[in-house]
Amino acid sequence: MGNTITIDPITRIEGHAKITLYLDDKGEVSAAHFHTTQFRGFEKLCEGRPFYEMPYLMERICGICPVSHLLASAKACDMLMALKVPPAAGKLRRILELAQLIQSHALSFFYLSSPDLILGMDADPKERNIFGVLQKQPELARWGIRLRQFGQHIIETLAGKRIHPAWVVPGGVNEPLSVEKRDKLLTQIPEAIEIAQETLKGFKWQLENFRAEIRTFANFPSLFMGLVTVDERAGYYQGKIRFTDSLGNIVADDLDPANYQEFIGEAVEPFTFMKFPYYKPYGYPDGMYRVGPLARLNLVDHCGTPLAQQEWIEFRDLERSAVLSSFHYHYARLIEILFALEHIQEYLEDPIITKRQAKYTASLNNLEGIGCCEAPRGTLIHHYRVDEQGLVTFANLIIATGQNNLAMNRGILQAARHFVRSEKLTEGMLNRVEAVIRAFDPCLSCSTHADGHMALQVQLLAPDGKLLDEIRR
Amino acid sequence: MTSIVLACGNGLRGDDGIALYLAHRLYGRICDAETEIVCSHQWLPEQAEDLSRAQLAVFVDASVGVPAGEIRVQQIAVRSGEIASRTSHSLTPERLMSLASEIFGAAPERAFLVTIGGGSFEHGSEFSESVRKAIPAALQQIEELLSAQSVSVR
Repeated sequence: MGNTITIDPITRIEGHAKITLYLDDKGEVSAAHFHTTQFRGFEKLCEGRPFYEMPYLMERICGICPVSHLLASAKACDMLMALKVPPAAGKLRRILELAQLIQSHALSFFYLSSPDLILGMDADPKERNIFGVLQKQPELARWGIRLRQFGQHIIETLAGKRIHPAWVVPGGVNEPLSVEKRDKLLTQIPEAIEIAQETLKGFKWQLENFRAEIRTFANFPSLFMGLVTVDERAGYYQGKIRFTDSLGNIVADDLDPANYQEFIGEAVEPFTFMKFPYYKPYGYPDGMYRVGPLARLNLVDHCGTPLAQQEWIEFRDLERSAVLSSFHYHYARLIEILFALEHIQEYLEDPIITKRQAKYTASLNNLEGIGCCEAPRGTLIHHYRVDEQGLVTFANLIIATGQNNLAMNRGILQAARHFVRSEKLTEGMLNRVEAVIRAFDPCLSCSTHADGHMALQVQLLAPDGKLLDEIRR
Repeated sequence: MTSIVLACGNGLRGDDGIALYLAHRLYGRICDAETEIVCSHQWLPEQAEDLSRAQLAVFVDASVGVPAGEIRVQQIAVRSGEIASRTSHSLTPERLMSLASEIFGAAPERAFLVTIGGGSFEHGSEFSESVRKAIPAALQQIEELLSAQSVSVR
């Protein structure tokens, strides 16, 4: 009988989770589980509600990426009403989504992960936070705050508030963008682009210091999935689903997200509330795939904007085929910030963006609606069925973090086997195991928060239950 | 003089939403381009820049540590060493002031924290009786602070 090591809760992620490492008789890590310990139940609590309420109910799932839930839900409602949104509204929704990507990626990179990257995985946990980064590299901390603030500023300018806006509605958006607001946003983009470029430069310079982490942070073959547009770019707001393998070969392409149940299966495990989506033709768990920034950059043949394209070429040169190390989610996130800024600039410079027609209206015309978009952490699908009165009878959500669940579990096992020595635990060892999860930037439930003093307790127990070692913070 | 009101709370948890309610009422009462009103669930690092541009700041929040309906005003200032924190999920006004000063090189010359004691933090958007009765006085208190009148700090 072996021992277990529990990391509970995992810090600097969005939501509540713990990790259990199972040791064999020799003290080697033999298995690892990533447990999501919270339960939300949105799929059930929305039953019986009118469909037009869904975007505003569903965006409450999350305080970091509410815009993604708002958009996926509004798109599902567009389908229920069988209408297309006005061209200006489509572009405004895209800007909103990219702005959210900027602020969410900035939160993940600068606030949550840069302490590990700047201060080191073994740094004192009391200082290993954004404020520690501020002491060591104040410019980087300021950049992080500026980028996150800029993403939120765009959201607020368009949608009226930074978190949980009600601006996106089934059929379009509530209010067009004024020329004055558009012009003001355009003047602010160059500074943000400069920050993104400087951060990328600094990050690439640091990569050499993380060879072991790059080699062991969920670095293994898997499928990758995401939306791709007709011109072969990552489709953040719209597109068809593509699966590629670890060699970069296309496994399946041009899949309609509305048919997701044909190619995505959903498994459950007793140790967690999070589902385990998998690629159905390969079965469970062989159908493990990854989504999010790393997947999106692996899926496409080009990036689509000039500066991000240069970075993407360099990124893809890391490996001959797909980039497999999940440590590089950080790298991909920074490239996506740059891409998003350039792409927002393109949309804002399009004269159509200030057209007054921002919404179409219709009544219920379909009894089933499916909306899909790329959330910061990966592909997001909302699927609703309604009755003839428009009341929701069924809802199913495929959340990005869930789709990375198989890879996260396997990733912590890989890292734990490399870093954890059971004879004497160190905080740095366990931080590396947590950092694997942070690389994926899981969003377990951003609308519930701990009180700010997250305790970490790790116990090493003998088979008879005797406490052999313990770490607290 | 530029002023900023930073209100925080959760509008779906009873009295916890009182600061947000007061902020929305202030929108309608203050016709002043020099006053910015910002509502959020928590005070976060990215609000430091907003703060750095203001000369006067009024933080507004509900409190579990104050009797329901009681209004307290506390003067706050940048304090060296206040920046350290284990989390970036939420900040105290003092830490936000220090962050503004450290990163953006400026913080309001005068800053106050107005807390309103909450009686119920259960689900819902209704306020408890005590908090509802305190609304006029709380609005007046904040407006007095913004108009830089002398106030008694409790």
